Amino acid sequence: MTTNGKLTGRVALITGASRGLGRAMALAFAREGADLVLCARGEDELKQVAAEARERGSNVLTVAADMALTRDVERLVVLALERFDRVDILVNNASQLGPTPLPYLIDYPPHVFSDVMKVNVMAPFHLIWSLLGGMIQRRDGVIINVSSDVAVNGYPGWGAYSVSKAALDGLTRTWATELTGTGVKIYAVDPTDMNTDMHRAAVPEDDPASLADPADIAEAFVALATGVVDPALGRLEATQLLKHAEPAGA
Amino acid sequence: MLSPPVLDIAPQKLPAELRASRPAELRGIRRDHVRLMVVDRASRTISHTRFDQIGEHLRPDDLLVVNTSRTLPAAVPATRADGSIVQLRACVRRPGQWDALSVQPEAPHANVALNPGEELRISARMTARVLGRRPDIPLLWRLAVSRDGLEEIETLGEPIRYSYVPDPIPLDFYQNVYAGRAGSAEMPSAGRPFSRQLLASLRASGVETAEILLHTGLSSFQDDAFDAEHHLYEEWFEVDDPAAAAVNRAPRVIAVGTTAVRALETAAGADGRVRPMHDWTSLAIHGGQTIRAVDALITGLHEPTASHLDLLRAFVDEPLLRQAYDEAIERRYLWHEFGDSMLLL
Repeated sequence: MTTNGKLTGRVALITGASRGLGRAMALAFAREGADLVLCARGEDELKQVAAEARERGSNVLTVAADMALTRDVERLVVLALERFDRVDILVNNASQLGPTPLPYLIDYPPHVFSDVMKVNVMAPFHLIWSLLGGMIQRRDGVIINVSSDVAVNGYPGWGAYSVSKAALDGLTRTWATELTGTGVKIYAVDPTDMNTDMHRAAVPEDDPASLADPADIAEAFVALATGVVDPALGRLEATQLLKHAEPAGA
Repeated sequence: MLSPPVLDIAPQKLPAELRASRPAELRGIRRDHVRLMVVDRASRTISHTRFDQIGEHLRPDDLLVVNTSRTLPAAVPATRADGSIVQLRACVRRPGQWDALSVQPEAPHANVALNPGEELRISARMTARVLGRRPDIPLLWRLAVSRDGLEEIETLGEPIRYSYVPDPIPLDFYQNVYAGRAGSAEMPSAGRPFSRQLLASLRASGVETAEILLHTGLSSFQDDAFDAEHHLYEEWFEVDDPAAAAVNRAPRVIAVGTTAVRALETAAGADGRVRPMHDWTSLAIHGGQTIRAVDALITGLHEPTASHLDLLRAFVDEPLLRQAYDEAIERRYLWHEFGDSMLLL
């Protein structure tokens, strides 16, 4: 990687940062000089990612928190602001798939449905709600919600996850209209099918070789966070963003 | 230190139903749809409107100064040496030391005496050793704490709720829309009626916002007679360069809340200019005092005995203030942090 320092002085908060796309984004943002607030449920894996990000020169705060719990979301906000005083880039990446193998929505347990909505919709809403005030005041901020193909297309078995991502797209769409002209950008990004724990759990029969590498997809998020690409607010596809971004490798 | 006597509005004049027990949104209206009383000192007139119409009383180039301190769930349970539970309410937090109220965990939250030398357990990682009573405010206990406690407060605490708020209103209702770093024991509530939509429309009409920070302490020590003595304690505040510059530049500075007044007046020099400052303040402001940096005030309505009224007397003379409070009661304005609002111009 030859690009460096495009996020120097910026503070990025990434949820679900211990694995998969979240981890890849943390390391890519660190390479660009961002300071990081990394959050996940598992503290050990999170500390490992933090150590790698620090090797790239980042100041890193780790917060072990469960996005299903309102109190944990507030604690994350408080500790992030206490450490860095602001958050410039918020990536709502943490997602819950629900039980695997994926049960049909017609068989979905209501309580589990509610849990998936808490993590995938309520937590992003609450985080954005909490951090938006400062972003609007500074007229500066980038919010990226990790969406999915299933937000717009229906597939058997993807019920709760699909509904939650559609809701997240809806939040993004409405907020995009409300935030126009404020200097705060909001996007929902479909990262495409990636070779991650979550995808393997959801679709175990997929050939990993046919799936995108999260490290490559993370560059689409870097491009958005740095403003290298500056599309209209709303829903985007990572693969399209990568075509418009300058090549990250040399 | 005691402040001078307050405006003698009898507390019994305030009917209980005028104490706002729930935030506007749980009363079925938007946060910016609470009522607003506009007290115009120049014309000595009082008018009544709705908070979202406040722009009609403001001018382009007016500067609103807001306190961005975020409210903590500041009522934290701690286990005593004998296994019983007390609720700690930290009023002043310094590195390694809290000055905290110790009360019963259940309503009416009466004060509980601690034993000097006793160790309280707050979490598996955090203890607090009782050093003794704070000499100037004996209901506060000096506690040597093993951590700063922010994580513990956020993990274990509940918002401090007074008896007029019977339901367990969640913490997010105690936050202003522009809340940033956490540190207030109680919500700096004057800014609560502002919505982001309202702030954006004010900004579009040329009314700017500057941010200061003042972490509030406790408004009550859970003892009426003691509260009536108006004990003063120090609060941490931060006025940064952009806010100081904006205040010095603005033709009219409107403080959102008495906390913003105290921060700006502490940071103001004799020449009336505000300098950037991070410090503790225990500035008391009362009638007859010259206000140097602030021209107008947005504030909630608070208990007629509250020292809050002392500060208002620095803005409004007693007859006009009395008229405003009489009209508020007559027109059934709602009191306290979830209540209606006043603009003193």
